[in-house]
Amino acid sequence: MKDSLFDEPKEPSKPKAKIYTVSQITSLIKVSLEGALPGQVTITGEISGFKRHSSGHCYFDLKDENAIIPCVMWGSDFTKVKFKPENGLAILTKGHIDVYPPQGKYQFYAESMSPAGVGALQLAFEQMRNRLEAEGLFSEEHKKPLPQYPLRIGILTSESGAALHDIVDSIYNRWPVAKLLFYDVPVQGEGAAGKIAAAIKDVNKRNTTLKLDVIIVGRGGGSMEDLWAFNEEAVARAIYNSKIPVISAVGHEVDFTIADFVADARASTPTKAGMIAVPDIKEVLQQIDSADKRIKANAESAIKLSAQRLKTILAAAVFRNPLVIIQNRGQSLDDFENNMAESAKSFVANIRKVLQRYFEMLLKIEPHRLIADKKIAINNYQNRLSQKTSGLLAFVKLQIETQAGKLSACSPKSILNRGYSIAKQAITGKVITSPADVNIGDSIITELANENIIESKVTKK
Amino acid sequence: MSDKTNNNDISKLSFEQAIKKLTDIVSKIEDGQISLEQSLSQYEQGMELIKHCREILQKAEKKIEEISKEKEK
Repeated sequence: MKDSLFDEPKEPSKPKAKIYTVSQITSLIKVSLEGALPGQVTITGEISGFKRHSSGHCYFDLKDENAIIPCVMWGSDFTKVKFKPENGLAILTKGHIDVYPPQGKYQFYAESMSPAGVGALQLAFEQMRNRLEAEGLFSEEHKKPLPQYPLRIGILTSESGAALHDIVDSIYNRWPVAKLLFYDVPVQGEGAAGKIAAAIKDVNKRNTTLKLDVIIVGRGGGSMEDLWAFNEEAVARAIYNSKIPVISAVGHEVDFTIADFVADARASTPTKAGMIAVPDIKEVLQQIDSADKRIKANAESAIKLSAQRLKTILAAAVFRNPLVIIQNRGQSLDDFENNMAESAKSFVANIRKVLQRYFEMLLKIEPHRLIADKKIAINNYQNRLSQKTSGLLAFVKLQIETQAGKLSACSPKSILNRGYSIAKQAITGKVITSPADVNIGDSIITELANENIIESKVTKK
Repeated sequence: MSDKTNNNDISKLSFEQAIKKLTDIVSKIEDGQISLEQSLSQYEQGMELIKHCREILQKAEKKIEEISKEKEK
């Protein structure tokens, strides 16, 4: 037993083992793998270590509890994936297994993927909703109040869709006064989201002329793919940034889109858009009628109240019988008259008394005697006056003569009598008081007493 | 004085503004506490507003204008 154990390796008949290069053996593995596995397999597993390279290709692992397999997804395939692959997400992915010689590993080449359990769009929707919600795009504070009575309403939908007529009818059934402004945009398919977003921006930009009070963006029901444009970020942001309030009206009651969450209000279907967007004209008319009635009733009652007040005032005695005042006044007038008559009477009586007294005094005066008395007095005055005046006259005469004597003594002519003379310049007749008054050769007249004159000439000064 | 609006001003009001003013007047009047003279002037204003609102509501056009065309020009 022991020998045979030792002998066996030394068996010379055994062929020599083939030696492969790394490439050869790898190639062998590759061929055997390809032969052993179906061309396309679907794998389910959990994403781990997901990386998207700048080239657009994605690298990740798929794993379960016991195994792990490296995966690659080319960028061209990845663009078709609506949702964002996240680590830990269970997915179903279709592709093939192949060997990657440079790294000595086999890997899975994913050509498509979808979330396991829920649909890819559903997942994409939830991811978008969570992301935009976290960013605050759905916040209540940001939502604009809808105008209560919009008169210009923008409708953004497809001309070919049924939604347009549903929206228009639902508005006009309630509120035929509004002017509807229709903006034709594709609502499904490639590029629809971008066009819807652009349309929202466009009406906002033109709203100084469009004067829209509110915008309704929507479309009729369809599959999730059909409605997808309303789940795209571009539309969500355009709605969020709209200055004009936006109402979303997409699909059926059960369909919720991202647009519904961002919009200022959601109409569950295009047919319900009118309910959300406009008031019922009947109710508004009733409101106006009621205001009309209430204002009138109030004015009436205000007038009635005032009339009542007026009535109360008029009910006062004065107004009931205006004669009262006149009668009252009349009475006091009578009183006054009586008083006047009384006082007038006594006044006259007094005057009479006084007059009587003067009259009696007058009777006592005897005029003729009065005149004789006066005559005597006058004669007396006359005598006294003539005596006084004759004395006074004699005195005055004496005084005058005395004064006249004194006055003549002062006269320059009387001085001449005493031997003085007056020298005058012969031509001018000016009295000479200084030598300057004459020139040599001038004639001088000398006045002497008794009006005698001498004429002489100046020979020396 | 600010709520003394003459008829010209009232005809310029939007429906929304007119309805609001009307509602204000009704509640003011029904609150009482205003003089007969005031309530008469409010009455006049209210009647003007009602006329204006009714005129707007009678202008039902039911016309749809397309606004997307302009973009293509």
